[in-house]
Amino acid sequence: MRRIVGILLLVAVLVGVGQWYLAGQASDYIAAEPRLSLSQALGGELAGFARADRPRVFRFPDDHGPHPAYRTEWWYYTGNLKSAAGRHFGFQLTFFRTALKAPTDRVGRTSAWGTQDVYMAHFALSDVAAQRFHAFQRLSRAALGLAGASAAPFRVWLEDWSVTGEMAAERPVSMQLSAEEQDVALDLRLRSEKPIVLHGRNGLSQKGAAAGQASYYYSLTRLRSDGVIRLGAEEFQVQGLSWMDREWSTSVLSEALQGWDWFAIQLTDGQELIVYQIRQQSGDIHPLSSGTLVAADGTSQALTSADFQIEVLRTWRSPADGTVYPAKWRLRIPGEAIELTITPYMADQEMHTLIRYWEGAVRAQGTAQGRSLAGDGYVELTGYGEKKAGSAVFGRMS
Amino acid sequence: MSRLLWRSSRRYLRQHVWQAGLALLGVALGVAVVVAIDVANESARRAFVLATQSIVGRATHQIVGGPNGVSEEVYRRLRLTGKVRALAPVVESDVAATDYPGRIFHVLGVDAFAEAPFRPYLSSGGTAPDNDFLAFLTQPATGLIAADTARQLGLDIGDRLSIRVGTQHQFITLVGLLDPNDSSSASAVENLLITDIATAQEILGLGGQLSRIDVRVPEGEAGQKLLATIRQLLPAGVEVLSSRGRSQAIEQMTRAFQLNLTALSLLALIVGVFLIYNTMTFSVVQRRGLLGLLRIQGVTRREIFLLVLGEAVLIGGVGTVGGLGLGILLSQGLVQLVTRTITDLYFVLTVRELVLTPVVLGKGMVLGIGASLLAALRPAWEAATTPPRVTLQRSSLETRARQTAPRTMFLGLLVLAAGLGGLWISGTNLLLSFVSLFGVLLGCVLMTPLTTVGCIRLLQPVLSAWGGTLGRLCGRSVVATLSRTAVAIAALMVAVSVTVGVGIMVQSFRQTVVRWLESSLHADVYIAPPSLIARRSDSTLDPALVQRLASAPDIARVNTYRGLQVESRLGLTQLVALDLAERSYDAFTFIAGEPQAIWPTFQNEAAVIISEPYAYRHELSLNDTLQLRTDRGVHSFRVVGIFTDYGSDQGIVMMSRYTYDQWWQDTKISSLGVYAEPNVDVDRLVESLRRLAGAEHEVLIRSNRTLREASLKIFDRTFTITTVLHLLTTVVAFVGVLSALMALQLERARELGVLRATGCTPGQIWGLMTSQTGLMGLIAGLLAVPVGVGLALILVLVINRRSFGWTLQIEIAPEILVQAIGMAVVAALLAGLYPALRMARTSPALALREE
Repeated sequence: MRRIVGILLLVAVLVGVGQWYLAGQASDYIAAEPRLSLSQALGGELAGFARADRPRVFRFPDDHGPHPAYRTEWWYYTGNLKSAAGRHFGFQLTFFRTALKAPTDRVGRTSAWGTQDVYMAHFALSDVAAQRFHAFQRLSRAALGLAGASAAPFRVWLEDWSVTGEMAAERPVSMQLSAEEQDVALDLRLRSEKPIVLHGRNGLSQKGAAAGQASYYYSLTRLRSDGVIRLGAEEFQVQGLSWMDREWSTSVLSEALQGWDWFAIQLTDGQELIVYQIRQQSGDIHPLSSGTLVAADGTSQALTSADFQIEVLRTWRSPADGTVYPAKWRLRIPGEAIELTITPYMADQEMHTLIRYWEGAVRAQGTAQGRSLAGDGYVELTGYGEKKAGSAVFGRMS
Repeated sequence: MSRLLWRSSRRYLRQHVWQAGLALLGVALGVAVVVAIDVANESARRAFVLATQSIVGRATHQIVGGPNGVSEEVYRRLRLTGKVRALAPVVESDVAATDYPGRIFHVLGVDAFAEAPFRPYLSSGGTAPDNDFLAFLTQPATGLIAADTARQLGLDIGDRLSIRVGTQHQFITLVGLLDPNDSSSASAVENLLITDIATAQEILGLGGQLSRIDVRVPEGEAGQKLLATIRQLLPAGVEVLSSRGRSQAIEQMTRAFQLNLTALSLLALIVGVFLIYNTMTFSVVQRRGLLGLLRIQGVTRREIFLLVLGEAVLIGGVGTVGGLGLGILLSQGLVQLVTRTITDLYFVLTVRELVLTPVVLGKGMVLGIGASLLAALRPAWEAATTPPRVTLQRSSLETRARQTAPRTMFLGLLVLAAGLGGLWISGTNLLLSFVSLFGVLLGCVLMTPLTTVGCIRLLQPVLSAWGGTLGRLCGRSVVATLSRTAVAIAALMVAVSVTVGVGIMVQSFRQTVVRWLESSLHADVYIAPPSLIARRSDSTLDPALVQRLASAPDIARVNTYRGLQVESRLGLTQLVALDLAERSYDAFTFIAGEPQAIWPTFQNEAAVIISEPYAYRHELSLNDTLQLRTDRGVHSFRVVGIFTDYGSDQGIVMMSRYTYDQWWQDTKISSLGVYAEPNVDVDRLVESLRRLAGAEHEVLIRSNRTLREASLKIFDRTFTITTVLHLLTTVVAFVGVLSALMALQLERARELGVLRATGCTPGQIWGLMTSQTGLMGLIAGLLAVPVGVGLALILVLVINRRSFGWTLQIEIAPEILVQAIGMAVVAALLAGLYPALRMARTSPALALREE
């Protein structure tokens, strides 16, 4: 599993529709205690959904498209870009799908507005030079062509935010990202330089002890990117590297979960590294925390929680509500002789969306097999702070 | 000194408690009627604003279309191509809650994902733990209502609410309750049935269509740019309108109606004011001696003036306070009548609470006390300015009253002329028209004293022939005490004439409508869906049902009607598309255009006929063009005829179905007019059509006669409020007459004592007094006839025309006039009863002692 945010979406929709607040301010929304217990939200309605409880054979391009039999699914794009003059930008463009009903319970509707799925999308741009962080959120029903996804031709969209692409069987030829909100716009072309990476056991990523507490998970870890960023009247031609994560599942979480730290780093020597740790309420790191190391030639190797250590070097306090997030890390993978210091490009990359979390561009510096190297990447932090969706949904934080 | 003054005043009032009490009652009733109407109007207005706000929310603009609303394709285009973000689709309609008669819900179908910026009140509360929003989104026929409303109706989550949409019954399962935590949000949602937009489309049968699209446009240049973007993407026939303009256009509809109610209520107050005037004049007349003594003892004119005014303020103040309370009580009944009428005539309105703002109460207070002060000005002036020596002689006052009668007459003529002139120049200004109407009434009042003298002179031979000396005395004493009798007669005259005027107006209106219904309801059977607004039909019949009914046996020809509201920047127009049999042409009476010329043009060309109120409102004449927003964009239509119609004061535009189909993409039909084959029993046809319609459809199938009766019933219902006001005014008037005449007679104790002492029997005294009040009643009744007819003429020809734009045929039923005179005489006789009894019983010696 990559992003807890997507899982939380379902709960958000359940509670949020009741609050009529889906497009409103996240803070107000979060402040209202959800009245659904986790078991209600994630338990009772599971019947009728498919489960990620066994390895599967991935089929592309079909698997780029939606998997309506599973409850949640997301298309996650992050990247670090530079303008010709060297101005650094980080971006995130993500589409979440959540099913309101199991396929077996669905009722035919005559209205074109009738919906079975809800889409949420986040779009963020980190303007490092200006120290400005722009973040936006959208929600829509998957009806009337307002939002949706399809495999062939590949397309996922929420209104005019979209990713379209020409997907070959193994490796996408190219994808076009497009998002615009207020005076911030992003138009990018992505070309994959490496084949698809399947995480966990051939793409089955186990998150909990029980069968089915898992997701199907693959990534494109090195996407050569070029395009245009528009900020108000200014336009920047940009180039850089992007990352795509794809994951779908029905039930992955255990109730003892506190939060989630996720790191994806693209190193200058051609390797990519992804590690995540599941934090438990006890303060322990869940043993099923894991990662993947992708070599320059595209071969990958799974990492278990025993293979890496993450040490927090610094923290940052959110000016919004005083939540304290880790803000600098040392990541060690002793078996690979890798040691990296990971630093956010900007401290404040907190997403003030329906579910509040930190997702930001980072730089990495360190050594691998004795050679010094650098890299860029993205980090996601959830479940920090008193009233985070994570704590509200997953129980009180101490 | 001033303490002495006040004590004298207090004592006087205590001794004349009847008089003061009746004056108090008069003011209280007058103020009550004004306040009640004001509260009712204000409550209706507030309910409308609240309902509008709750539905419109924070939308600055709304995108509206034709009869089918706006295609959902437009919404998608605006969002996806236009990148317009602040949009919310709405599918809505009023539906009847069939298990709760009279209860109407506004189905508001929304997209929860687009709602937040628009209707924040929906999110302003806690949500019940049992609310099942997944079901709300995914389950057909589910909805939410307010928790308060649910409690009232005894409903809970999981219960089914039965509603009627058009002709069909449906059930909505409640999957949640809205419980907003502030009261204004609570009243905003109390009549809403909120559903998912998909659900609303399904239950209202509006697949693919939106009722409107709400837009939030920022102020200034950015907003204008956004509007331009939106307009570019809108297809022909779809328009973006400002929300404020839209609700104002709707609210405007009731303006004339409410102003008329206010004016009628003011008439009641005017009658009440007359009472004060009467009482104060009396009190001054009665105390002339006392006031003269006070003056001689050194009390200044100023003090006397203030004393009289002070008494008026006291009576007025107490009366007003009582009137406020009474008015609030009264308004609870009136608000229902006002709401009922608005719903019958204009739009669905539910008023759940009375609006008692300080402004409304303050207005009542100022009106009551102000009017009392105004009424007391002349008596106070009179009391203060007459030289003390003169005041001691009572006869001087009467002499002066007789002397000034011609002058008052002249003044009256001037005021009357000014009133009539005001009516002439006021043009379409309704407020000025009403002021002028009051002017005319005041003019007539001022002319009363001299006319009274004239009447008595004319009647004198009759009186003496009939009653001898006492008969002569009867007439003469009216003239001799003119200062008092004239006021009483004037008060009675005003009261009766208002009764006559309003009576004739309502009667004329009703007769006109009866005649109009007779000529315009031409077909044998009428078929229509039940309508929430009695005088309008904008719901439609199921096409399959139309097909089934139209092809029934025994039917010679079917007329179809399609009624809809066309809304645009040009305003709100009620449009009816007709497919008429040739024999139905006779149903129309044209006041402009020749039928032979109208009909061929009407059937084939882009021509319309308009109703008289529409022509009046929009200043249109024959061959003018009017613009309507069609599904193909704004188009001009030529007016080829203007017909009389009393169904809608907003006016109607009619076009042939052929023309309509050229410009609108709409195949729906609102109602049918059926001609039976010759020799077919209509009642039996109605029965068989009802059987054909079946139980699944609730559809009104009525014979010509039944529909006419139903229409008249609605007419009468819309006039209930007028009738009630009329009645209240009469009550005030009656109290006025009672108080005026009773005071007059009680005051004559000494005079009658003399008569008794000189040999009159108690029976003779009784006869003298009752015949004298009867005479005054008769004079007032006779005077009220021309004045009442004049008022009626003004109400019908000026006020009604300017308010509603229609011409009514004046119908002066003799019984109204006879009733009026009868009422005046009876009221007068009744008023004379008690004093006469008292006098007859009192020993002459006691009476002679005066005070």
